Amino acid sequence: MEAIDFVLDPLRSGIDRRALVELALVGSLCGALGFWVLTERLAYGAESLSHGLLPGLVLAALAGAPLLLGAAGGALVAAALIAFAARDTRMGPDAGTAVAVTGLVGLGALLALAPDSPQRLEELLFGDPLGVTGGDLVAAAVLALCGGGALAALHRPLAALAFDPAGAAAAGLRPARLRAALLVLLAAAVAVAVQGLGALLVLAVLVAPPVAVRGHARTPARAMLGGGAVAVAAAVVGMEVSFHAHSAAGASVALALCAAAALGALLRPWRRAARRGARPRPLRREPTSQGL
Amino acid sequence: MSSPAIAVEGLAAGYGATAVLEDVTFTAMGGQSICVLGPNGGGKTTLFRALLGELEPLAGRVAVSGRPAYMAQTERTRLDFPVTALDVAVMGTLADGRWWLPARRLDRDAALAALERVGLAEHAGVRFGELSGGQRQRALLARALVQDAQVLLLDEPLSGVDPASATLIAGVFDELREDGRTLLVASHDVESARSFDSVLCLNRRQVGFGAPAATLDRATLQATYGHELIVLEGGAGAVTVQHHEHGHHD
Amino acid sequence: MDLAELPFLREALFELVLLAIAGGTLGAWVVLRRLAFFSHAAGSATFPGLVIADASGVSPVLAGLAVALGYAGGVERAGRGGRDHSEGTALLLVAALAAGVILASDVFESGAAVDRLLFGTLLGLGAADLAVSAAVAVIAVVAAVALGRTWSAIGFDPDGARALGLPAGRADLVLLGLVAVAAVAAIPAVGALLVTAVYVLPAAAARLLTTSIRGLVACALALALGEGLVGLYLAYWLDLPPGPPVAALGASVCLATAALTRRAAT
Repeated sequence: MEAIDFVLDPLRSGIDRRALVELALVGSLCGALGFWVLTERLAYGAESLSHGLLPGLVLAALAGAPLLLGAAGGALVAAALIAFAARDTRMGPDAGTAVAVTGLVGLGALLALAPDSPQRLEELLFGDPLGVTGGDLVAAAVLALCGGGALAALHRPLAALAFDPAGAAAAGLRPARLRAALLVLLAAAVAVAVQGLGALLVLAVLVAPPVAVRGHARTPARAMLGGGAVAVAAAVVGMEVSFHAHSAAGASVALALCAAAALGALLRPWRRAARRGARPRPLRREPTSQGL
Repeated sequence: MSSPAIAVEGLAAGYGATAVLEDVTFTAMGGQSICVLGPNGGGKTTLFRALLGELEPLAGRVAVSGRPAYMAQTERTRLDFPVTALDVAVMGTLADGRWWLPARRLDRDAALAALERVGLAEHAGVRFGELSGGQRQRALLARALVQDAQVLLLDEPLSGVDPASATLIAGVFDELREDGRTLLVASHDVESARSFDSVLCLNRRQVGFGAPAATLDRATLQATYGHELIVLEGGAGAVTVQHHEHGHHD
Repeated sequence: MDLAELPFLREALFELVLLAIAGGTLGAWVVLRRLAFFSHAAGSATFPGLVIADASGVSPVLAGLAVALGYAGGVERAGRGGRDHSEGTALLLVAALAAGVILASDVFESGAAVDRLLFGTLLGLGAADLAVSAAVAVIAVVAAVALGRTWSAIGFDPDGARALGLPAGRADLVLLGLVAVAAVAAIPAVGALLVTAVYVLPAAAARLLTTSIRGLVACALALALGEGLVGLYLAYWLDLPPGPPVAALGASVCLATAALTRRAAT
């Protein structure tokens, strides 16, 4: 019984139980959404967005407003600024993005560390699952429901788009609108997830689950479900570790997610060997190498 | 000059352990021009790399007199880089092996002379990206000229170039040949290949080598280009080749 | 108030001047050779190593150097494969930051170190930090003079550069290693999250204002110096670590320049 108690102890505490539920809800959506983040090469953009919304978070914290509002507003401003900066071809998109993101992170830190502000910077950067409120839970539930519904409805068009963009456009799908919908969902997911994992670590819940299942899942649907499951499992493991080892909750979950990704990547060669010939259908046509 | 400028025998080359090009044997004397024909992926660039010494032959021998000068395609250069036409030409002087030292007055003068030769002297201070396509090719040619090499390897030097620049470039080629230098030109233009001294047809292996009239028969071209070949009906039975960037194979 | 009068700010002043030298010379190449993300990643990846060094008394300089060079080598090796490793790198950085914060707040209980390591410090700069920055500044200038032509040739046309017989692979390895080490050298002053404030922001603005490589280096140097000094003053005045004001200032200058010059074409 000791082992079971060991595992169930965190659930007895209301705070930890709420944290776990929130992370599970957020994780299930983000783990599924992450598949498209990877396929559409949005990891770098998601990272830039999540770092760049820091001033929004800080302002919300200073004003006593809900963090979700700050995150959403911050995400909008960050998206606009990054789009503006990255467009400059002389700097180059990588330098432009760095300018916008570094400036926003610096601004956020500046606002947070100005002496008469409450010192919540570390929670905003690394997450605070234990501080989750009822409102956050509602937001997470809404995200999981609506986001999940959107993914269920859109996953076939998205797959067609990823596999053959030109063909999809010709078939009547509207690539620009699909991509826009994906980006909106991504921004919403980041805004909700940032409360639990923090601006610096939230990327893990979007990128680690799909990396973990890459090569193991044969269809987008399976990859999404697998990703969601991995995220939830990592959330549980992370919270357990945090509870028993007294380590920072958000960071522990983030590390659990990264460990899952590493594990999934390591197991890939064995999986490939086991499949022996039946190759998974590639989702994106690899560009043929330049003629030599 | 009795010894050949280029002597290749039984060359096999590739990246790693597998050969992407095999069975290449040809020689070229000073003052000759060779057109290298073949589809993308057929081994033209691999051959150039082997001649430059970047690739060790997996089999066979390569002997070249001196280090060849290489003229790249402009699509492979970065147009937003803050370099002028003169800067690009001066880059050629890096080949003298003292790359850690700043450019000397000597180097700048040589670069200016090369730009003169390709008709870009008045554009020496213009940023490379702001030049026209033909002017950019000429700047890259100037970079190759500065190296003063016996052998020049030129990768599709006339593709996408306006007629005026093309004439200028062709004129420089003639000057180089009269000067006893050897030119290897990779090209997709089968018709223009007929005006070269020799043609070398590559499709992962050497399909043919020799004078154009004898070598460019239907069978060799078929073996070289496969389904990319288009035969235009006409008196001389002219043939041409689909460029890969123009899209679908029908 | 004269900053130089306050002796405990002298270190900070020297440090920022030295960093500006490296930020100008190397920053130009970071922007030209598209190494902005790499420089940021080198700084962030070092964070957990520095937490450990801080707590265990190991020289942070050594720890930082070891991580920086290891990271640079890893990136170079991974880059040769040609496949896209951006997701792996992103996760690596998240893991590094998460590990660092757990080590700092829960293992070593040096929570205060987190802010300092992430955003820099005004008063805590020591002789060792200055020595490292001085070394980096000197090496950066020497390397830029010796390898600048090669780096430029490679950036402009990698195939052509190799054809010229240039040691392209090794020259790029030196560049990566140098940028990584320089990023780590900037961490004491501006913090692991904001090293791009030194190596990217001034050079990016300079890129918009100049048309030659020489001009880029000179302008980047001037901007790095100016932004560093003004940022230092703001940090002192607002009682903040130097990283955030330098970053916010650098970004504002760069974005304002972009808006004013507004050239979308190359």
